[in-house]
Amino acid sequence: MLFPLLLLAGPAFFLLLFFYYPLGSVLVGGLTDQSGRISLAVISALLRDPYYLKIIGFTVWQAILSTLLSVLLGLPGAYLLARYDFRGKRLIQALTTIPFVLPSIIVVLGFVRFFGNNGVLNRLLMALFGLEEPALKVLYSLKAILLAHSFYNFPIVVRIVSSLWRRIHPSTEEAARSLGAHGFRLFWRVTLPQILPGILSAAALVFIFCLLSFAIVLVLGGGPRYSTLEVEVYRLAKVSLDLKTGSALALVGAVISLVFLYAYIKLQQQSSFAEQMLEDYERPRLASMLRSPWGMFYLLYLLLMAVVILAPMVTVVAYSFQVRSGWGQQAVSLEWYRRIFSGGAYLRAGLNSLFFGTMTVLLALPLGTLLAYVGSRSRFAGSQLLEALMMLPIGISSIILGLGYLKAYQSFPWNIVGSWYAIVFAHTVIAYPFVIRVASATFRKMKPSLPEAARSLGAGPWQLFWHLEVPLARSALITGAAFAFGISVGEVNATLMLYNEKLVTIPVMIYRLIGSYNFIGACAMGSVLMLFCFLVFLIIDRAGGEV
Amino acid sequence: MGLRIQSIQKVYPDFRLQLDFEVRQGEFLALLGPSGCGKTTTLRLIAGFIDPDSGSLHMNGRRIDTLPAHRRRIGIVFQDYSLFPHLNVRDNIGFGLRMQGWGSKDAKERIEELLRLVSLKEYGKRKVTRLSGGEQQRVALARALAPRPQLLLLDEPLSALDAKLRKNLRKEILRVQRELSITTLYVTHDQEEALVLGDRIAVMRDGHIEQIDTPKRIYNRPRNLFVATFLGQANIIRGRLAKREGELAVVQTPVGTLRVSPSQAEEFGASDEVIVFFRPEHCQMGGTKTNRINGRVVQKEYLGSHQLIEVESNGARFTLDLADRVTLVTGDTISFSVSPHHCCLFLQ
Repeated sequence: MLFPLLLLAGPAFFLLLFFYYPLGSVLVGGLTDQSGRISLAVISALLRDPYYLKIIGFTVWQAILSTLLSVLLGLPGAYLLARYDFRGKRLIQALTTIPFVLPSIIVVLGFVRFFGNNGVLNRLLMALFGLEEPALKVLYSLKAILLAHSFYNFPIVVRIVSSLWRRIHPSTEEAARSLGAHGFRLFWRVTLPQILPGILSAAALVFIFCLLSFAIVLVLGGGPRYSTLEVEVYRLAKVSLDLKTGSALALVGAVISLVFLYAYIKLQQQSSFAEQMLEDYERPRLASMLRSPWGMFYLLYLLLMAVVILAPMVTVVAYSFQVRSGWGQQAVSLEWYRRIFSGGAYLRAGLNSLFFGTMTVLLALPLGTLLAYVGSRSRFAGSQLLEALMMLPIGISSIILGLGYLKAYQSFPWNIVGSWYAIVFAHTVIAYPFVIRVASATFRKMKPSLPEAARSLGAGPWQLFWHLEVPLARSALITGAAFAFGISVGEVNATLMLYNEKLVTIPVMIYRLIGSYNFIGACAMGSVLMLFCFLVFLIIDRAGGEV
Repeated sequence: MGLRIQSIQKVYPDFRLQLDFEVRQGEFLALLGPSGCGKTTTLRLIAGFIDPDSGSLHMNGRRIDTLPAHRRRIGIVFQDYSLFPHLNVRDNIGFGLRMQGWGSKDAKERIEELLRLVSLKEYGKRKVTRLSGGEQQRVALARALAPRPQLLLLDEPLSALDAKLRKNLRKEILRVQRELSITTLYVTHDQEEALVLGDRIAVMRDGHIEQIDTPKRIYNRPRNLFVATFLGQANIIRGRLAKREGELAVVQTPVGTLRVSPSQAEEFGASDEVIVFFRPEHCQMGGTKTNRINGRVVQKEYLGSHQLIEVESNGARFTLDLADRVTLVTGDTISFSVSPHHCCLFLQ
């Protein structure tokens, strides 16, 4: 009992100081009045203001719609990956990690360049049909937000649902078929109940992501009409400098997302039961199915999904090689890359991102691993509560975290805002739950008889940890490290709240370039960022850790 | 010497484990019982993965229940092998040597020795995940034996293997155990395994040991009805003790008067409700006048070298294990007998 407690001391101290304390100061800020007394005045004023009510309503509404769309888009893919074998399946499976590693700012950028009024799609349509005006006006509307959210998040549904679906042996469906069930009834009565935990758990996760989504709404929503809680908190804190109302609004948002985070954790525990039933079976080839009547549908689906995932990314890269010459003509050029690598603000942003990423790995990896280790090894009263507390940052938006940093350290003897380590600490807090997720999946899956075998052979607690558990978790640790790096490199929300001119990162630079309508520059920076993320993606894929 | 398990008690909400027995130095003791009887818990208590509520464990005279698992010097072979997937065969076997601080030269020699012992000489560099079930089991055995443990525990080590491999491997295990003459406790629910392997068998039920004895005595002289029916096939018939005739007890049963030479005669009094027990293979067609039972053949099972005949007699059913050459058809009326010293008597 003493051993786990000792291990926990370091992480607990860090989280208290750099997560719970700033979070608490937001809480206190939202629950006190101007003179500092505890009061519900600010919150209740907020909840009576039609403007904020509309924002709260819209936040939840767009998250519900985005989630539904993501699930609908994801289910056929989950089915294909779970039940069929085909060439390139591994690649497709790998592609489903994209939402976890691709920064949302890239999605934004790709969307603007691909679906925008002057984007690839519209120019193609205009050229094809000789139109004078863009045919599709999706940007700066609810449509744009929903499209971006669902295309960004449906691979999560594919990933989570197919990993459960795959583990369900088709023998139950065969049994049901032999008893006379078929078609939709078979799916509804037999298949769906078995994959439902996976669907719900994926939906809860997507819902949280959409609820907390920031860059997509900020840019693609394009104005106060389509503002969500996150964007509004950001505006209040950075533009209106009204930290009090910001805190109150942040509190409302946190309560909503925490309810869903709780649901997600519960559901995930349920779906992990199926993991023990894994027994491999032969899967039919996809090619044989594509010749059936449903084949066309799936072929179209696969094609569409590939385009939807890849097109915005390809657009970003392609656009980055252009340069504007006179008369609106565009030519292929490495101009922007020359500018980036010749030093100055762009290079510094790149170096900053690398530095923050490395520091985040160095902090988040030991933090997450230790917490996962203790969490999976010890069961004591309140350990579930502790687990929820550890995963809390997933449900707390990084905007709120940034706001917390701004508020908390004002009255602190040591104001860390504006320092490089404030950003590193914030990134660490955002990244470590993902390390926990990856690591604890591995620690949990470790057969309990393995440590017992090691103990019977003379391994004490430390030897057990170093010679058995760490080597067994190696791929998870590599995956976790890559994740932490990817999250830090792509992080924009908290960084926007905490950066100054010296601490600009790539995503912040992209945001600023978009703001000044310099899309080529944004795409060039975006391509560099995508290169980082691609490396992360490769490492995760090679390490084979479960995401 | 050996392992002494002294008034060990472990209480669970729905289960109580009470143990007091001994595994003698160099002995192979098979711990046999149905699933849920507490065999594996017993093994885990000895290994140190569970702490008893009371009682003590002594290994070669030294108390070990106060030691943590990694200081007890007990080798364990797990049911699912539990080989370390990140290590190859050699490093799996050498894991315990490394943990216990063996020098690398000694360790290397010891690993070679064990690879030879379990006939896996060429397998040292293989990945354990690439081995067959039988090979994994041998590696598990070698790994457990490598640091020269004082005691070897095996937890249903053969249950995941197919029948043929199981028979081969159990010979192998027995050979290795004899070669090293290591004190061994072998948990199984397979009575055949227990009979073949054990110097002695401990039959367990509901958290305690019902009988601990040589395989022969366990089979032929079971102490109670549970032991009698758990091992092998059993014929039983209820009756009332009528009188004594010298060494023999006379029992009135629905199928007639049976004479039994009870091993624990003193436990029974006149007109006790008793159960007479005998084995199918001790039944003879026709046979002597004593203990003759008449009945009708209701079913037969042909098993190649022998056959099992089911006979009904006055509402009771008996199984006869007869040679193949006896030809009988369903419906035949037959009489058979069983000698008094092949019968056992239990209180109802």
